[in-house]
Amino acid sequence: MKRWLCLFISFIPLLLLTTSCYGLQQINELAIVTAVGLDVGKAPGSVKLSVQIIRPADARGQTGAPAGGTGQPIYSVSAEGDSIFDAIRNLGHFTSRRVYWAHNFLIVMHESYARRGIADMIDFFTRNHELRMNTWVAVTPDAPDEVISTITGLEVVPGQAVDRLFRNIQIVGLAPASDMRSLEEAFLSPSVQPVLAELKLVKRGISNKKPEEHGSIKQVELAGAAAFNKDKMVGWLSSIETKGAMYFLQKLKSGIEVVSCPQSKDQIVTLELKDIRLKVTPSYANQVPSFDIRMKLQADVVENDCGAPITEIREATERTLKEKLALHIEKAVARAQHYHSDFLKLADVFRNKFPVEWQTLGTDWNAVFVQAETTVEVEATIESTVLKAAKQEVK
Amino acid sequence: MIGVTSMQEMTQEVIRLTLSDKTASIEEILGDSIDVQRRDFMFCGNPDYPGCCYSIDGLADAAVIDAALKALVVSGTELVDEPALLATAEEILSCLMFNAAVRACSTLAAGIERILSGDTLVLIEGVEQTLLISSKGWKDRSVEEPASENNTRGPRDGFTESIRTNTALVRRRIKDPMLRMEGMVIGTRSKTDVNIAYIQDLVKVGLVDEVKQRLSRIKIDAILESGYIEEMIEDAPFSPFNTLQSTERPDKVASALLEGRVAIFTDNTPVVLIAPTYFWQFIQAPDDYYNRYWVGTFFRMVRYIAFLISLTLPSIYVMLVSFHHEMIPTSLALTIASGREVVPFPVLLEAVLMELAFELMREAGLRMPKPIGQAVSIVGSLIIGQAAVQAGLVSPFMVIVIAITGISSFAIPSYSSSLALRIFRFPLLIASGTLGLLGFSGMFFILLLHALSIRSFGEPYLAPVSPFQQEAQRDMIVRMPMWMLDARPDFAQDTKRMGEHQKPQVPKEQKP
Repeated sequence: MKRWLCLFISFIPLLLLTTSCYGLQQINELAIVTAVGLDVGKAPGSVKLSVQIIRPADARGQTGAPAGGTGQPIYSVSAEGDSIFDAIRNLGHFTSRRVYWAHNFLIVMHESYARRGIADMIDFFTRNHELRMNTWVAVTPDAPDEVISTITGLEVVPGQAVDRLFRNIQIVGLAPASDMRSLEEAFLSPSVQPVLAELKLVKRGISNKKPEEHGSIKQVELAGAAAFNKDKMVGWLSSIETKGAMYFLQKLKSGIEVVSCPQSKDQIVTLELKDIRLKVTPSYANQVPSFDIRMKLQADVVENDCGAPITEIREATERTLKEKLALHIEKAVARAQHYHSDFLKLADVFRNKFPVEWQTLGTDWNAVFVQAETTVEVEATIESTVLKAAKQEVK
Repeated sequence: MIGVTSMQEMTQEVIRLTLSDKTASIEEILGDSIDVQRRDFMFCGNPDYPGCCYSIDGLADAAVIDAALKALVVSGTELVDEPALLATAEEILSCLMFNAAVRACSTLAAGIERILSGDTLVLIEGVEQTLLISSKGWKDRSVEEPASENNTRGPRDGFTESIRTNTALVRRRIKDPMLRMEGMVIGTRSKTDVNIAYIQDLVKVGLVDEVKQRLSRIKIDAILESGYIEEMIEDAPFSPFNTLQSTERPDKVASALLEGRVAIFTDNTPVVLIAPTYFWQFIQAPDDYYNRYWVGTFFRMVRYIAFLISLTLPSIYVMLVSFHHEMIPTSLALTIASGREVVPFPVLLEAVLMELAFELMREAGLRMPKPIGQAVSIVGSLIIGQAAVQAGLVSPFMVIVIAITGISSFAIPSYSSSLALRIFRFPLLIASGTLGLLGFSGMFFILLLHALSIRSFGEPYLAPVSPFQQEAQRDMIVRMPMWMLDARPDFAQDTKRMGEHQKPQVPKEQKP
């Protein structure tokens, strides 16, 4: 008994020695990546990878300890390689710290890279244990290294700024919240196609020192979407098409819409949409699927420039609103059919209703989907005029 | 010098010796210590009956001896014509003495033992037995508030160094005839009084015998503090956990007795031991019961959190910062990384250094003379809190972690058990600093299994959580209202402590 105990006790230090602290990495010895950009490299088939790395001392400023110099909060570098992982390895030639991916917020790809095919990117970013599936994914027509290294005004870390933009999508409703999960899900599905958000640089920031330049500072804007067929990007969606698609993709519950007044095209009334409900009912006849898309919503008047009380213009405004929303949806569907890419997830609705028919149609859904007929019907009621009531003779 | 066997022979036998023989042997045994007082007198003023009394200066109360001598000499002269009429000690003490506590004693050994305890031994020529007058009267510390166990509401009295005062403090709280105090003397040289207190019709069956058996097993020269006894009778001698509760508060002892536990009083120390003990008792404070139950529950929860923090916070921090960076929210990770940017040490070393610095400050603050205590706390906190961070030796986050840990460990009511947690912190820290989450969970489970394996006088140490006892949960994580705490622990003989329907009711409004 005593011998065993002695043996056991002498083994414990040995055990600790042999581990050599496997996996030990101090947090300040890591290069924490918060955004990645992917572009086509100079050599054919190669990848140009740019990363935004945090410099914690400057990202957080003086925290009592002497900080490591005063400079930029981020350090952006790019490297090329035959594959993504090769490019990451090549980053090691000039990053003095180990590149650490677990805090990555954003993967942004250039349009040309996306058009070439993103299968390698999906594989790498889902296979690696350090990467997370809740990373946002976007496509940009601008240079991705410029997008990731553009410092925004409000956040210290640009990656964090884009993260916040994505989180506000339910309110703004101008781009789909595409992350690795939704991308992987659509990529693996035989029928549904991926759609990614669009990031671009716009000159919107106004310099405090040179206000006469009227917004010459580039800012990152999240608006629009890119449609994919399998792993290849097929084209952009216009802002109206994106709006229409958002009802399908994000199940938007609210939004705003500006419609012109009944009596004059120049005057407008602004409506806030609430309780939006979208219901897609598939039907199947003559080898052609058709979809009945019904939308129900309520609207509040938030701004009325018509010069008439709402009681007078209610019906006309409701009609204009219905037409406008129906147009958005129709355009989105038309665009999807044009691209041969069912990013609106109509396939899922159809399969749930007609599992038997799906067996035959599903194998070539993209071709079938193009021929699908859709009818769009919108039910909109303007209920509230907010604080201004017609009874009190206010408009 | 006199041999042990001959001394025993001499002192064991019934005293049939003359006075001079007796005094000679007493003086031989006691030696000529300066504090041994001898006072000769004439019994009833009669020179044929010389007498002699022994006491220890400083232990015996001079007024008591005065009264005894007055009785034996002055009253004896007045009342007794012929001293030969009072031939036995019993007759003398029943007819002549007016001290409250006097008894006859037939062996010199017992007599000498009592002299050394502060009693006065009276020898009279021609009387076989001796008289023992209880004359204990030394300087005592008065009953004060215990320094290490404070509370805001509740009694302020604490135990003192005198065992009789201590038992009296408990007796005052429980005026139950079933409250028993059993005496025992431990220590061949110190002959320390040890009392075992229990309530006869509540105490766990067999517990008193077990305690007595464990106490009688102790063969030691001296007991200077109850810690000696604790280490000699505890269930898990190798464990850092203490399986006996120690307290200076009479109310804690009284409540333990009422739950069917046993208290062990030791002379010369204000610390009383309570057995059996559950681990969770160390986290519970008397305030929980004296304040209303909402407050009691809240404070108790705070203390459980403090317990968890003081045990695990540095380990979790070290583990996250050196292994599992992905588990820290990004913004926090950046803040930590920026604070650590210039720190030259690995997190584990940083944590161990800071823990050591904190322990140094605590120990130094305890040991040094009180007047310079402030100097150390100012220097220590300035150096560790401010200068070390500014010099870039430790990160501000580590200072916060260690400070919170330190504060939390002081929030645990039982100081002695917070010391055990302090010790457990280091293996946890080293395991999580070398093996990450694996090391942390492994070491935590080793500690947990160890705590699960030990018992305190037959009771599982982690009860009532494991084994789970439904009834006892009312007074475990939360403290239910007093009218719901109607049960004693399972091991008590009578588990019902309250009548039915004790919840106060609003009286029905009476119509005029």
